[in-house]
Amino acid sequence: MDRSQYAELFLAESREHLSTVNQLLLEWERDPQASEPVQGIFRAVHTIKGMAATMGYGKVADLAHRTENLLDLLRRGDLSATDEILELLFQSADSLDRAVEASVAGREADLDVSAVVRAVDQAATAYEQMVPRPAKARPSAPVVAAPPGVGRRVQVVLRQETPLKGARAILILRRVEALGTLFAVEPAPVALEAEGFDGRFAFRIEAAVSDEVIERTIREAGDVERVELVAEEAAAPRPEAAGGPARHIRVDLRRLDALMNRIGELVTSRDRLAALSTQRADPELEDLAVGISRLSGELQEEIIQARMTPVWQVFDRFPRLVRDLARRLGKQIAFRVAGKEIELDRAILEEIGDALVHLLRNAVDHGIESPDERTALGKPPEGVIELSAARERATVAIRVQDDGRGIDREKVLAKAKARGLVEPSTETLTDDLLVRVLARSGFTTAARVSDVSGRGVGVDVVADRVRALGGAVEVQSRPGEGTTFTLRLPTTLAIVRALITRVGEERYALPITHVAETLDLDAAAVTQVDGRDAMTLREAVVPLVHLRQLLEVSGEEPARRPVIVLQIGERRTGLVVDRLVGQQEIVVKTITPLTGMLPIFSGATILSEGLPVLILDAGALV
Amino acid sequence: MAGARILVFRIAELLCGAEVTAVREILPRQEATRVPGAPGAVTGIINVRGQLLPLVDGRRALGQSPAADRGSIVLLEVDGQTVGFTVDEVLDLFAVSADDLSDSGDLPGVDPGVVRAVGRRGGESFVLLDFDALLDPIISV
Repeated sequence: MDRSQYAELFLAESREHLSTVNQLLLEWERDPQASEPVQGIFRAVHTIKGMAATMGYGKVADLAHRTENLLDLLRRGDLSATDEILELLFQSADSLDRAVEASVAGREADLDVSAVVRAVDQAATAYEQMVPRPAKARPSAPVVAAPPGVGRRVQVVLRQETPLKGARAILILRRVEALGTLFAVEPAPVALEAEGFDGRFAFRIEAAVSDEVIERTIREAGDVERVELVAEEAAAPRPEAAGGPARHIRVDLRRLDALMNRIGELVTSRDRLAALSTQRADPELEDLAVGISRLSGELQEEIIQARMTPVWQVFDRFPRLVRDLARRLGKQIAFRVAGKEIELDRAILEEIGDALVHLLRNAVDHGIESPDERTALGKPPEGVIELSAARERATVAIRVQDDGRGIDREKVLAKAKARGLVEPSTETLTDDLLVRVLARSGFTTAARVSDVSGRGVGVDVVADRVRALGGAVEVQSRPGEGTTFTLRLPTTLAIVRALITRVGEERYALPITHVAETLDLDAAAVTQVDGRDAMTLREAVVPLVHLRQLLEVSGEEPARRPVIVLQIGERRTGLVVDRLVGQQEIVVKTITPLTGMLPIFSGATILSEGLPVLILDAGALV
Repeated sequence: MAGARILVFRIAELLCGAEVTAVREILPRQEATRVPGAPGAVTGIINVRGQLLPLVDGRRALGQSPAADRGSIVLLEVDGQTVGFTVDEVLDLFAVSADDLSDSGDLPGVDPGVVRAVGRRGGESFVLLDFDALLDPIISV
């Protein structure tokens, strides 16, 4: 490994640490009393300092060192996290980011970090001159006891007879994730899925809800034997996994691209070999050709898998972007992110990053009103922007949703008529028409040119980008209620975790995205509602769908059958199958639409023995 | 029609042909996964090196008695779609001149709607199948 490769590694790792710093700073800004963020930031900056020193990047190391000094004072409680200090830390993170990029690019000499260095030093020395200690004294112990309701340790034991304990555990974790921030999950997620997982797991949760709520949420997932909540005495050091990504071997995307191309060539050669072997009618040659065909197909599959990347790798830089924009424009915005674990092909993910920046900028600049305006409208002064990723049918849907003023249809319509984009007789713009008008090149209604969302150019750029990837853009907008943009991206490469179920001799995959729980049909009280089977589940009636009947599978059904409860929004359906086989990651593939095919499949996947298995679409069953 | 290279195969007792430009590959018979609700001529979907393709039973599609579980799969490119088509036996690949093909002359037991032409190979007649027409009621695009 030569120096340039070390430099790339340094760059990649520093970016990750800086991303962690930014996330923790945002967390800290929301709760300046919290003691967790500063520990994590300190460690990340310390790591960068060490790596930069090893690489001989003096300016990075120096800036990191001085920032570390300031952080140390904050960590010890000698200094409190005021707005000014936090702003300074944000600036210093930005400078570190620039310094890292410039150093790796060999432009360290052009770099001037002296202004930030001075500011950081001043802030640190200001403390020394402060006599006496700041009025808002904080305990000087390095670790502050967690305030009530923060940082609780939760231990869960599943019932011994629970089928698929791993799936249940993951389900529980997903439910509690909605309540707050999880960390220190034990055992590691990989172990949850392992054969020998005994149904005991633990995690820590930071959430502003009572113990009872946490316990209830866990128990509602079903099959829970015991839940124990312990308030943390002294905050244990936050594990790296909390903010940072799982450790993987880094592979340059160009390597993967090259490998993909080579495999493309291999496939061509393979086809020639197959044709030749057919011509020669030599059984040995044919066997060989078939063998090589299979191998190259598997190789292709492996590469596709290696390219899958969770969306957080792009999403994680947005909280900072939204915060900075909101501050500059004087808006109050709560930014939420959901579905960070959904995976996309790395190439698709990189392509949509810019598109999402456009949409988020639009939402902050044009969507969310100023706090005064919101108050006057009877809305809370703080606007909400949510960025989410979800698997839907055969697509991945990425949404940017705001609760702002909505798109001014009158204005868009007038402009569209003026440009001849719609019939002059058009009276209203439906959502469908709206997106088509907005997606027209250069279309804008922005009266002013702002440096935030540019000249209103945005949606057309986004639409072009998404279309080029084989996807689609949708928009829903209600005056005074807000706007939602949905980017629907192709799933040919998308991966999803699924339950594998069996009905008769056939297997079907069911993505766990909409699986609320699984239970034994015998244990549930089956009744009839409007002539349809239903069961009572915690005092609610849930209609049942018998997969065996729906798919017209013949044969005897087993006496004991599991029910998979699917939930979308408020709607629930119990899907009765013969057996749960297991759960695994599956690659979603499209299938050729066949006449009469039941409209309950979103695609198909290939299980390890090479056999295709259809994927059930929860959306069509609930 | 002009001369062409034809892949000749047998389905039950019928000799059939496909233009070689539409043939992508010949594979050994493999297990298919049933697709609930699909037409009876569809055996299911098969995995061809990671691509999932519909498999059409040649015998059922041509109204012949149900298939024995032997033979080959001819992968066809029809209208931009790749489809597997089961045949009892692949026999030959040969060039025919336009003179050897006539666009009339039905063979008994075959729906004339799925026949593009009738040709001769050696002393026997074969039907050149019209796969567009054959697959039209099966694939919904």
